[in-house]
Amino acid sequence: MFVDQVDLSEARAPTSVRRKLKPVLLWSAVTDTTQGAGAGEILSAPLIIEYPFKRTTGPVIGAFLTGLRERVLIGSRAEDGRVIVPPAEFDPVSGNDLTELVEVGPAGVVTTWAWVSAPHAKHPLDRPFAWAQIRPDGADTSMLGAVDAGAMENMQTGMRVTPVWADEREGHICDIARWIPESDGGNA
Amino acid sequence: MGKQRVAVVGIGQTKHQATRGDVSMAGLVREAALRALADAQMTWADIDAAVVGKAPDFFEGVMMPELFLADALGCTGKPLFRVHTAGSVGGSTAIVAAQLVQAGIHERVLTVAFEKQSESEAMWALSLPIPFTPPLHAGAGGYFAPHVRSYIRRAKAPDHIGILVALKDRQNGLKNPYAHLHEHDISFDSIKDSLMLWDPIRYAETCPSSDGACALVLGSERVADAAAADGRKPAWIQGTAMRSEPTLSAERDTVLPLGGALCAADVYRQAGITNPRKDVDCVEMYVPFSWFEPMWLENLGFAEPGEGWKLTEAGVTALDGDLPVNMSGGVLCTNPIGASGMLRFAEAAMQVRGTAGDHQVDGARRAVGHAYGGGSQFFAMWVVGADKP
Repeated sequence: MFVDQVDLSEARAPTSVRRKLKPVLLWSAVTDTTQGAGAGEILSAPLIIEYPFKRTTGPVIGAFLTGLRERVLIGSRAEDGRVIVPPAEFDPVSGNDLTELVEVGPAGVVTTWAWVSAPHAKHPLDRPFAWAQIRPDGADTSMLGAVDAGAMENMQTGMRVTPVWADEREGHICDIARWIPESDGGNA
Repeated sequence: MGKQRVAVVGIGQTKHQATRGDVSMAGLVREAALRALADAQMTWADIDAAVVGKAPDFFEGVMMPELFLADALGCTGKPLFRVHTAGSVGGSTAIVAAQLVQAGIHERVLTVAFEKQSESEAMWALSLPIPFTPPLHAGAGGYFAPHVRSYIRRAKAPDHIGILVALKDRQNGLKNPYAHLHEHDISFDSIKDSLMLWDPIRYAETCPSSDGACALVLGSERVADAAAADGRKPAWIQGTAMRSEPTLSAERDTVLPLGGALCAADVYRQAGITNPRKDVDCVEMYVPFSWFEPMWLENLGFAEPGEGWKLTEAGVTALDGDLPVNMSGGVLCTNPIGASGMLRFAEAAMQVRGTAGDHQVDGARRAVGHAYGGGSQFFAMWVVGADKP
């Protein structure tokens, strides 16, 4: 009996362990098929697909990510004068190179939001929060962030928020651990 | 209304290398595109549409990357089309772009193909384990090695043919400033002594993993005539063809795939080629492992089955031979997978435009570009010439 069920549980093994193994060695038949599969018996075999993806971020996105590490928000100025955050490498209208980097925020304004009443394991916060579009001061576009407002009643379009930086930053969007209402304590 | 004429009027490629750490994926694609535009003396505004090709998305782990590449290709608000036919994609992408002009839909089409292999592991991406199936191969070389072994047996080819191909292509690559590998000290013995990776394929008979992109500007007859009047020779597309066949059909001959032979027959018919060995001045074909040169010489009709290796051995396929093959150094010197097919097509066009620099074949007027992909199952070819079809 061939059952197209695969067990992905090992995919949650620590990355450090998995990287030591060649992908092809990760696969191994764990089922004894010589006995013949009886009724109700489900064959399973692990199928783990993992590649160590890397990113070369280039001069503009790279500057944004480096900025996060330094607690600075960086945008790029488009040819029509708008400041785009996170920065665009090329002008969205003309396609020309955008080379003028602009520091913005880091505080900004919520332009729209949605309340998450029951966060799941992969959400950035383990308590109810708002996904919000936040336009940093000096920017003309908004970016996604998690606002730790305590209760939905505290959320309002147009409210001011400020980022809370992660203690250990590595040039990743998660260097912004969360955003909090500015009324809750300014530059945390 | 019949098919409109179309020509290559601009060619650009990146410097290919193992890791292009200085540019993002978008920056890499753009570098090739800007060079093609400069060669065509055009700007983004002149382009009507773009066609983007690359091999499987999971090579970099970015799904449908063409969407975020629109800005980098100056394509906002313009038609942008994606092609994917595994390793042959660079060739089929150029063909799809050509068809947009042939159909009379657009006059100037930018086509770009790329791969940024440094962002992942194509070797293992091509070794997908299948549950309840023994893991039979590691990387493309493991898949193709039995095909090569079968060819050697059927053709009664001597062992050193693969080494000769690798030596020729790596030496040709020394003349190509964009090539990834520049191995100045390579020799017959150094190839022979290199590690046997997938018997009978040695390490030095294997393509590298490259970051790179290739771009072409295709123009209508009006656009190409204007370029010619300005002293910039177009490469007229005299025929294009694609064929594919299933990976695992039982009757399939992987040494001489029917799809490849039918693809060649179709493109020759369009170009009026009756004797490819005589009617074609040079060939740029997809040879990721050295032995594929004699195999494809036969599949594409340049030699009878079993005879391809004799052309290689006699030096016919050398840069100064009677039928030069892989003047650029080929896939054996440069392999940004998604771009590799387009690089073949581009080299063919450069030859008939007379712009191939140190790897130019004197007097080349008609050239064949060829790409294959998947498990020797996707084929794309074009014939380009100095003369209008």
